[in-house]
Amino acid sequence: MPPKRRASGPSTRSSTQSTLAFHGATNKVTKPTTSTRSQKKDSLAHPISSLQKPDLSAPTSPDATSPTTAEAAILEQAAQEAAAQAVAPTAQEEEASHITQARIKKYWAAKEKARMAPRVHQEALGLHEKVLREWDTSGQYGPCIGIARMKRWKRAHKLGLNPPIEVLAVLLKEQEAQNIASQRAHVDELMNSRFGDS
Amino acid sequence: MAIKDGNLLCMPSTKEIPTLTRINSFYNPLHTFDLPKGTEKHYQQQYADMYFLRLAMLKPAVEQKAEEAWRDFEIAGEKARRVDRVLDVRQGELCWVVGTVYMEMSLKPNILDDISKEHWISAPPAREKYISPGGDDEIMLEDESGRLRITGDFLSTTSYVTGCVIAALGTENADGSFKVIATELADLPRQPGRWERDEGQLALSSKKVKQEKPKTGKIAIVSGLEISGVSGDTILLDLLVEYLLGESLGGVEQAETGKITRLIIAGGSLAHSSPIPSREELAAKKGHKKYGYDSSAYDAAPTDHLDLLLSTLLPQLPITILPGASDPANVAIPQQPLHPALFPQSRSYANPPAQSKDQPGAFDSVTNPWEGDVDGWRLLGTGGQTVTDVLKYVEDDNVLDVMEAMLRWRCIAPTAPDTLWCYPFQDDDPLLIKDCPHIYFAGNQPQFDSRVAEGPSGQEVLLLSVPKFSESGKLVLVDSETLKVECKQFETPENAGELL
Repeated sequence: MPPKRRASGPSTRSSTQSTLAFHGATNKVTKPTTSTRSQKKDSLAHPISSLQKPDLSAPTSPDATSPTTAEAAILEQAAQEAAAQAVAPTAQEEEASHITQARIKKYWAAKEKARMAPRVHQEALGLHEKVLREWDTSGQYGPCIGIARMKRWKRAHKLGLNPPIEVLAVLLKEQEAQNIASQRAHVDELMNSRFGDS
Repeated sequence: MAIKDGNLLCMPSTKEIPTLTRINSFYNPLHTFDLPKGTEKHYQQQYADMYFLRLAMLKPAVEQKAEEAWRDFEIAGEKARRVDRVLDVRQGELCWVVGTVYMEMSLKPNILDDISKEHWISAPPAREKYISPGGDDEIMLEDESGRLRITGDFLSTTSYVTGCVIAALGTENADGSFKVIATELADLPRQPGRWERDEGQLALSSKKVKQEKPKTGKIAIVSGLEISGVSGDTILLDLLVEYLLGESLGGVEQAETGKITRLIIAGGSLAHSSPIPSREELAAKKGHKKYGYDSSAYDAAPTDHLDLLLSTLLPQLPITILPGASDPANVAIPQQPLHPALFPQSRSYANPPAQSKDQPGAFDSVTNPWEGDVDGWRLLGTGGQTVTDVLKYVEDDNVLDVMEAMLRWRCIAPTAPDTLWCYPFQDDDPLLIKDCPHIYFAGNQPQFDSRVAEGPSGQEVLLLSVPKFSESGKLVLVDSETLKVECKQFETPENAGELL
């Protein structure tokens, strides 16, 4: 230990600051808890059921307001088609705008009659949606994923594949009703769903 | 100049010095392969659209050819019948069907190779050919309904690649595969006449079409300059520049170079395009990185050298430059034009972008592949990646055979998007040939070769395989009047024996 130095001058100890001490009841450092043995007994007495249950409510749903890239691209395609139509409707669009609902019903009835068994799981859908889903799954006009329905019809027409004019009529009617979501194929929504597993 | 008794102080000579002039180039490019810029270029569509477009656009032509060929075809009293879908073929029935070929090859590039590269640092060596030595490659015919495996000895006589559309005549075996006895292709499309597009445009703008056609010269095609900025073989490039400018040789030869009206550089101008080092190089050295990009790694010397070379030629000679595999353009075909920012001196010879669509100017940076009218002839050219990729599928190495086959399949890049990176076209596939070209050239090939291919309706196409200039020192000249090809060889005494 270094030699004790003589303290000089008036008392160097300031009265406000107390000395540091680790003993004594007032300077107890450890936390006041019950002894460990009693703790173990406590945990056995209170099994997991007493623990707070985790909150299993659904996680906050992802932001459903902004569309995904795929959706946005298809909506942009649909908007472009609508704009082009507003400027200069083609001959097919002219013809399709004259097609009545009755004719669309007849077209659909002919399609249903060609089948051996009636369609299932489509009771809740309207006629327009049924026609459009049939249009999506007709493979001879090309893939339906990643392309707006109107654009697919125009492409099939340009390639000379003779797509049914009733489908164009339904699409135009949906467009007039400002139903922009109808331009995206249902299969496309299923395959690219952000709520799905993959 | 007459020097009398060594006295240079005399009147200037009155002898006429002939001025050499260069013949005008008649140039009318097409913008078939231009992609929309910026946000209008979408990638959310799938490649299935491309295959659908290819089949839908080529099916009518192939069906017509097959009808003509097999209308009265009979074997043992059975007539050949047309079948709509590939899966509709019936066992024992003689029929023909149209579909896209798909080659199932185990040695094709696989995404699993990339993953093994992640784990084991070094990639497996790049394959020369995808053909497996055991002969266990399968050929399939595909359309919207499904795939059909095709077999038969007939298939070994001709070669097929993924993406070509054919009609196959045969019958289904017991094991479900289709035994082929004959095939038909779409063959060459209609060929426009010389000057047809120029005359058409004149007629549209109601100008009088001149009966007498202007005199045209020669088109020079070179590829694979491979400028690296450090190598010492710039002497070959200097020789090339001097020849094209008419500075070398003399007399008759010099006057001949005045006939060269345009230079087309078919890709491979820069040896090493990417200033960004690859993963292996990054691991080797650790440079000072700012924002993730090591600025000290960028070397501007190659592009400077190329720019200097072009700006030396441009005052006299108009140039069309295509990007190649090693050039700083996008990897996926169609490669977009090299950006004018790379050519600070040469771009003053090009018209501003707003104007350059109709009037390109002396310097035209174009897409790869490229289509255009030069001196009235329709030219179709690529930087060579499409041809090199198709060669990996076939046994023999003959470039011209492969180029002819691509014309007959009416597809410039049949293996895209299978083994060749490609933009996913959705509306219209510009990689299908609608007008048969007069000259079809491919750059960066191993050797120089040329041939004329003939079509069923009298079309004649000149096929050109242009070798790499840095390896072979060859410049190809095509005479516009006669479509005859000649090849000029540049060599230095050191590598006189080495060049092909």
